[in-house]
Amino acid sequence: MDGSGDKNGDLGYQNRVESVMKCPSSGMNTNPFYVSAWDPVVSLSQIGNFGGSSTGSQSEFSNSSFPIVMENPGISNTCHLVHYPSDSGFVELVPKFPGFGSGNFSEMVGSVGLTECGQIVNAGCPPNYKEANNESTAHGAKRQEDQQLSEETTIGALPNGKRRRLVAESNSLFDPNKNAEGEFQKDPSGESSDIAKELDEKKQKVEQNCGANLRGKQVAKQAKDNPQSGEAPKDDYIHVRARRGQATNSHSLAERVRREKISERMRMLQELVPGCNKITGKAVMLDEIINYVQSLQQQVEFLSMKLATVNPEVSNDVEKIQSKDILHPRGGNAAILGFSPGINSHQYSHGIFQPGMPVILNSNPQFSPAHAVLDNELQSFFQMGFDSSSAVDSLGPNAGHLKPEL
Amino acid sequence: MTSKHVRATRHTKFIKNRFASRFLRSHLRMKRSDRFGGSQSNEGVRKRSTHRIKIAAYASMALAVGPSRTWSRALLFKLRNRARLQGVLRKRCLVSKKNKKKRVVRNKVIISREPSRTDTLRKLVPGGDSMDICCLLEETAHYIKCLATQVKVMQTIADQLLL
Repeated sequence: MDGSGDKNGDLGYQNRVESVMKCPSSGMNTNPFYVSAWDPVVSLSQIGNFGGSSTGSQSEFSNSSFPIVMENPGISNTCHLVHYPSDSGFVELVPKFPGFGSGNFSEMVGSVGLTECGQIVNAGCPPNYKEANNESTAHGAKRQEDQQLSEETTIGALPNGKRRRLVAESNSLFDPNKNAEGEFQKDPSGESSDIAKELDEKKQKVEQNCGANLRGKQVAKQAKDNPQSGEAPKDDYIHVRARRGQATNSHSLAERVRREKISERMRMLQELVPGCNKITGKAVMLDEIINYVQSLQQQVEFLSMKLATVNPEVSNDVEKIQSKDILHPRGGNAAILGFSPGINSHQYSHGIFQPGMPVILNSNPQFSPAHAVLDNELQSFFQMGFDSSSAVDSLGPNAGHLKPEL
Repeated sequence: MTSKHVRATRHTKFIKNRFASRFLRSHLRMKRSDRFGGSQSNEGVRKRSTHRIKIAAYASMALAVGPSRTWSRALLFKLRNRARLQGVLRKRCLVSKKNKKKRVVRNKVIISREPSRTDTLRKLVPGGDSMDICCLLEETAHYIKCLATQVKVMQTIADQLLL
């Protein structure tokens, strides 16, 4: 049974894989239809009996049902998965799905990496890959093991979940796979097609053969694949690597990214809010931020009240202000605002400041009509505003804004 | 890094100048209308003018920042639709005076939890209701920067006028 059955099974198996490979879509792992589209595959494969003659029906099926899958927006992830067969990563997937029948598994492999024909044949034959395919090119290459490998081989003896976690680390998109696996575990042994049985037997055999050392190798290969599959899609995704001991499923990764973002913003806020430097703890800091914003808003309110209560008679004593300004030039405020030097230059020291402030003087004629219309105090006000705006003019490109509005 | 810093400072300076010019202009306009309009001694009038100056300050700040930020957009939207919203609110108050009790009870049932710090911050930052926490923090940072600038400018103006 072992020898002949294996051969037959392999033949039919390869045919099947090839037939599935004709299917136009390249990846279906990631979309939600995967699971739902799976059952028809299984039933169809039962009907088709997996022989060489079954190719027609298989390809028909794949033509008919997979395009729908392709149109699904969730496919954006497929570039990850297409990588997997090319890296012969699917060999590692074999022990990952222990429960479901190898028939289903081979279908999965075929449907996942349809573009990579040779690789899929390699990857799609679980019984063979130990004896024959290991010597083939891709696998041979994978044998080169580095530090990481040896480090990871220790994990080889660990249960399945650990290995799954590794895969998830390398590519967080395997969640659908896991889901699918759950589905498959319900499916497989119940299917009574002869090929499926054969494949099941082979699968069992593989499971037996795959001792601890092989598992170690597989895990090692996974570890080897991790950087490969991680580098390629870097362009499209913000790729997050989890360190050892951190959770690796996609939700945890996303959550970690979010937390890092928040803490970064918090640091930014910490610089802005005075007296927030020594505070640790987000809650206290949020309190501090809230207090600061409230105090600023109250200050605005208070200042507007102050401005409202300012008496025009007092405020229009511009000469007094300016004399005080000249006597006690408030460098900081003047530098900040840029309009108090403007006042000085206008009223008092035209000649002195003239060479220094050509922009202000140049922009004078624009506003002269307003000067003519306004009475004295308003004129002084306007000069203030105007000077600040001319300072703005000298600074930046918003001269056009101010002219029409005045 | 340094160029980024320089650009940031220049940007804040730019915003500051724009805000100062806008605010001064609106302030002037208000003063002029007040001068032509009526007395200043009245308490109600003063309150109203305080409110107006505050709104002018916020509006000029939002205008100076421009629509690139969520908070400024929300602020501008609020200010622009102020009159309309107030009218709607008044009408709604008049209409729903009868079943006010019911509504309050229902609200209490729905929002049972205590408002967290984040919710408080959301209320403080304009437009914060519709942001997630990351956006909220970013907008808060920018809003704080602008508010500080605004306070500084207004302080300077008030000092200038009072001295």
